[in-house]
Amino acid sequence: MDTLADALEPTPHRNMAMSSANDAPPPEEGPAPEVSTPSGTGEMPVAAPTAEDLWAEPSADELPPLTSERGRKRSMLRPGEGPMVVLEHVTKNYPGGVNALDDVSLAIDAGEFVFLVGASGSGKSTFIRLLIRELEISEGRLMVGARDLAKLHKGKIPLLRREIGCVFQDYKLLPRRSVYENVAYALEVTGDSPRSIKRKVPEMLKLVGLAEKASRLPTELSGGEQQRVSIARAFVNHPALLIADEPTGNLDPETSIGIMQLLYRINRTGTTVVMATHDRDLVDKMQMRVIELSGGKLVRDQRRGAYQAGEG
Amino acid sequence: MGRRFRFFSLEAIRSIRSNAAISFAATATVLIAIATLGIFLAVFSWSQSQINGQKDKLDLRAFIQLDASKADMDAAVKAVQSAAHVKSVEFKSRDQVLADAKKQFGGDILDLLPDNPLPATITIKPDDPKNQQLIVDELAPLPYWLKDKNSPNGFSVNQKTTRDFLSAAKVLRWGAFGLMLILVIAAVLLIGNTIRLSIFARRREVEVMRLVGATNWFIRWPFVIEGMIFGLIGAVAAVVLLIIGKVTIIDHILNLSTSPLQQQADSTIGLPQLALILIVAGAVLGALGSGITLRRFLRV
Repeated sequence: MDTLADALEPTPHRNMAMSSANDAPPPEEGPAPEVSTPSGTGEMPVAAPTAEDLWAEPSADELPPLTSERGRKRSMLRPGEGPMVVLEHVTKNYPGGVNALDDVSLAIDAGEFVFLVGASGSGKSTFIRLLIRELEISEGRLMVGARDLAKLHKGKIPLLRREIGCVFQDYKLLPRRSVYENVAYALEVTGDSPRSIKRKVPEMLKLVGLAEKASRLPTELSGGEQQRVSIARAFVNHPALLIADEPTGNLDPETSIGIMQLLYRINRTGTTVVMATHDRDLVDKMQMRVIELSGGKLVRDQRRGAYQAGEG
Repeated sequence: MGRRFRFFSLEAIRSIRSNAAISFAATATVLIAIATLGIFLAVFSWSQSQINGQKDKLDLRAFIQLDASKADMDAAVKAVQSAAHVKSVEFKSRDQVLADAKKQFGGDILDLLPDNPLPATITIKPDDPKNQQLIVDELAPLPYWLKDKNSPNGFSVNQKTTRDFLSAAKVLRWGAFGLMLILVIAAVLLIGNTIRLSIFARRREVEVMRLVGATNWFIRWPFVIEGMIFGLIGAVAAVVLLIIGKVTIIDHILNLSTSPLQQQADSTIGLPQLALILIVAGAVLGALGSGITLRRFLRV
């Protein structure tokens, strides 16, 4: 249980994230944040120094908490009550006896940025699909935002997904809808009013730098731009948790950095980010928490890790 | 609610427009199914009215003894009128019966007879053909009837013919009913299949919608409305075709032929009712086909 206890301990990074976002849950359960630098005043005190070259530029336009936050409806997830994600001896086996995940235990705190690494077939995708309840665990316990997913009623799954932003390698945009409509759809499913949608979507598109391309179709955009749309859609509901499955998998290194910057900025508003990736350079540069899976087993959980154990 | 409906309708229209080929196929499918159903319904209701007409002719006759007095005859008529299950009664005196017979066979043969051999007759219409025997059972003990080898109890009841006719009518009705059921199921499957094509083309979209947190009904409503629109358009087109067909073909034929056929045609289901039934059926079939078909894409 070493890793679990480890993870439950609030990381400095998390505190930073909480203080930098006005909407973060009050830190009632954890120790008072010792780093109380208000956002924008100084540089991130505990952010990995190696990442500085990556983030030096965009820190000027810090992603503000969305004005839409106050309109938040009943929330499925209660991240204020504990870690965002908890796995206790989670096993997932597919029919045929393959153990995609094998007795994995870990916890991810609210506000953390976590890389999920491992070879293809190591269980990364299974992990992510379990989090959004696309799959059900076979054994153990999986909590997301203090919700036991095994006890989640089927009809509630959409509600869960509205509070988890998802970004995929293949973007998963609606092909016949414009950029604007793609982002708006995530709000429409929640029953948001047209007026509120009209306000939030342009705001969101501006944040990802696609304000001018609102009326384009996804097919008319570059891969990086499509991924920005996907991120805009994932974030427009201001989810407590954002999951990215190889978001840079189809992108060139430069574009990837832009996407990473976006995800990082999203993380700094208090959103927990879990990102599965193969991108060694990004992981090494970021020096964030790294969880490594191999053959469905948790083989490494490092507070500030590199892509490969022993590096960095 | 209204806002939602508007949103779903716009979604449906968007999808109809962006899938023109499939939309056309679905509408054409509905058209064919509904037109078939319409023709069938018209024929069915016509045949039913024919059967009912035939049923009305299933009457039974009581023959009164040749030497019965006027008082006996009146008493016999009265007795028949007051019997259970009798719908109507028609009395014919011996002279009238003879006159009818002359009309039917030509007078010559009957003129050869020295005397009128025919009995006075009461024609009884039962409330339902199957109650014939009950009436006979009730009335047979009365003394007025002429009993001979053709009518041992004084009544001409061709039970076998009646039974055959009634069971034939029953078979016809259930057969038609079964056929209609098959037709409706086939229509639902056909429409569902066409819509499945449309949904299959968009299954990735459905998957994405689910990932973004759309509830099943949020995804389904536009499809249901879309199916309903296909159904409505297809059914209206089918009704128009049926009306054109009726005006140009059936009415034409009826004008050429004699009046009895005309009367029979009039006794089929009314066109406005038929049109209404078909249009509603089209909309329901479309919505059902679409909604049911989507189910399999919404699992997990």
